[in-house]
Amino acid sequence: MVTNLIPLIETQDIVKKFGSFIALNGVSLKVYPGEVHALLGDNGAGKSTLIKALSGVHQPTSGKIIVEGKETKFNSPRDASEVGIGTVYQDLALNSLTSVTRNFFLGRELKFGKGPFGILKMNKMHGIAIEEMAKIGIKIEDPEQPVGTMSGGQRQTLAIARAIYFGAKVLILDEPTSALGQKQQMEVLKTIKKVQQLGNIAIILITHNEIHARLIADRYTFISLGEVIGSGTSKDLAGDDIRRLMAGGAEVGDLAKELA
Amino acid sequence: MNSSNSLRKESDRHKSKSSLISILSRPEIGPIGVMILLFGMLGYFSIPASETTWNPFAGEGFNALGIRNNLRVISQLGIIALGAGLLIIAGEFDLSIGSMIGFAGACMAMILRWGFSIIIPYVYFDDGAHIEFYTLLHISDVSPILAIFITLCFTLTFGWIQGFIIVRSGLPSFIVTLGGLFFLRGLTEVSLRSFNHRPDQAKGATTVTEIPDIKNIINLPGYGEMEREAAKYLPDGDLLSIVKNLPSDVIYKITERLEYTFQRVAEAKTNLLIAKGVKPLEKALENAVASDNEYMIKTIQEKIENFKIDPVIPKSVTEIDIARAYIDSIGTSRPIADFFGGNILEPIFDWLYFPIDWNVNNFGNQFAPGLYSCVMIWVILSLVCYIVLSKTQVGNWIYSTGGNLSAAQANGVPTNKVKISLFIFSAFCATLFATCQVFEVNTSDAAKGNLKELEAIAAAVIGGIVMTGGFGTVLGIIVGAFIFGLAKEAFFYIPGVDGSFYRVFLGFVIIASALLNENIRKRIMGNI
Repeated sequence: MVTNLIPLIETQDIVKKFGSFIALNGVSLKVYPGEVHALLGDNGAGKSTLIKALSGVHQPTSGKIIVEGKETKFNSPRDASEVGIGTVYQDLALNSLTSVTRNFFLGRELKFGKGPFGILKMNKMHGIAIEEMAKIGIKIEDPEQPVGTMSGGQRQTLAIARAIYFGAKVLILDEPTSALGQKQQMEVLKTIKKVQQLGNIAIILITHNEIHARLIADRYTFISLGEVIGSGTSKDLAGDDIRRLMAGGAEVGDLAKELA
Repeated sequence: MNSSNSLRKESDRHKSKSSLISILSRPEIGPIGVMILLFGMLGYFSIPASETTWNPFAGEGFNALGIRNNLRVISQLGIIALGAGLLIIAGEFDLSIGSMIGFAGACMAMILRWGFSIIIPYVYFDDGAHIEFYTLLHISDVSPILAIFITLCFTLTFGWIQGFIIVRSGLPSFIVTLGGLFFLRGLTEVSLRSFNHRPDQAKGATTVTEIPDIKNIINLPGYGEMEREAAKYLPDGDLLSIVKNLPSDVIYKITERLEYTFQRVAEAKTNLLIAKGVKPLEKALENAVASDNEYMIKTIQEKIENFKIDPVIPKSVTEIDIARAYIDSIGTSRPIADFFGGNILEPIFDWLYFPIDWNVNNFGNQFAPGLYSCVMIWVILSLVCYIVLSKTQVGNWIYSTGGNLSAAQANGVPTNKVKISLFIFSAFCATLFATCQVFEVNTSDAAKGNLKELEAIAAAVIGGIVMTGGFGTVLGIIVGAFIFGLAKEAFFYIPGVDGSFYRVFLGFVIIASALLNENIRKRIMGNI
């Protein structure tokens, strides 16, 4: 793993208030290319608000978002995707009723001629969809297959491949393993590993699962009640630290005592 | 670990179907089966009981006139089913289609009959306040294309308003378009009543009548523009002078064709006379058989065998006949009206009569002049819809808008624009329907299009459109329109069965199709 000195994306003291509620209270983090950055924290810690700020859904109340050394402001998700931030939400933004290819190119179809009535270049799109998914480890036989008939892991791969193909340099994965079975979770982790090996993409992985994080993450940031309560590389942190910080700083040992 | 198990990939769970099974599991296959069944029923039951033949084209369902009339019913429904179906695929639906047909028809008919005005009311203060009207613009003789254009301005705007309200407010389209249904029907009745106060119209009626037969206005050389019927009954002297100016090869062709017609008419008359003469004898024979009178039976049988009648001599072709036939052959000088309300494939139906001798009615004349224009409009519209839905970017947008709205939005699909455009398209289809109707029959009625919105939705559902959106094909919508139209006709011909049973049958078909569609959808969504 190579760590460049310039982070692909960096946040400095991001504050986000909803009325009187402070969702984020000065969050800073740095994500480097070729790295999986695990963002960990309990429910309601502010992880979702943070990734929504990074992907342009929410505008931060104060603080800076710096992409490749340049400060940027996102007024819409479109702005964020234009500078190369691709977010794969839990629902994956896939239409189960249509084919793999139609989903892969949804909203960005290749076509002959200009305007929305342009005829689709179906064969070319089939080829690209198969190729891009193969790059990160899933081979599909039939690009006409409806997405609904694919496994959860394959769908995740489709969504990730799509984000990368359309120029994502920073890939934000929102709990990609949470709704999956054991085997498919492993498939998704393999996919993330493949993306990591591409070397030029920074991955922000939001997860609840300490084991998954430890399997693939290079760097950790722990959030609790809107603040960063700890961070470090996988070398710096021991297993107990991770577990303690994930629970919002409470000692698991204390819990064990209480339960005993 | 079992090694053979590890070689199995996720994709192995698909692709195991043979090609026959994959054809049979296509969503259109059920509806296509029902359609073929109905074709057979209509063909079989419409053969008169007296005839013993298996040729389905011998019956009333598929003789020339039957084809003409059945295809009209099917294509009219097909036009609005496309509008309704595409909208359902995008996840919304439109209950105002039927009222829109009534409104568009009335609007167009009124403009064609009385012209178009823009009138601005204002309050005038003189001797107390009263309302005056200022006529900003008045066009008294509106051409068909302008009438269609003005009507489209109204209907498409209304479609846009409905769509706009729905996407902006998030209200269900059911309730908004239900409002549209009542609003438009009421508006149509109110405006027709208020315009029908003139001496030449029945007071307070909700119809417009006596629109000129625009599609049959011809340009008769030397006489200018006039209606075809009026031209055919010009004084004899005028007709003769028209014939004099015709080139001889035209006269020859017309004469040949008229001689053929007169020959056929004479033969038909002869056959009718024979039938008339033989019928009483056959009745007598029945009585004789009943009373077991052998002598009588024999005599009557002989009489029937030897029954002869002098064949009717064909009428000879006069110059007046030639003139009228020539006037019939002149093309319209209002191509737009003819495009919507006229006939198509006339040369083919002509050829089927002479020399093919099939398109003949019982009196020896040509049976059907051609197909109604709305068939052509349906075909064109279906082709356009097929290409748009399955081959273009918009098609993908329509599917995703109905299939998963938030996914579509997240990928930058302008879902609101897609929905509003389809509400406008649905209004456009209703207007096309009304345009065809107005130019075909030259009248309009406020009750036109009643319940058509539900028929359109039913046809779409029968054709495999899922009510929750995101799923369905144009081919399915076409098949749905066929099933609906054919059922209507086929049940009419079944002996001893009330014609309204077609509704009972369609009720079953609609529910069965909806269940089937839902099953297919769930299978694709991975819930089964």
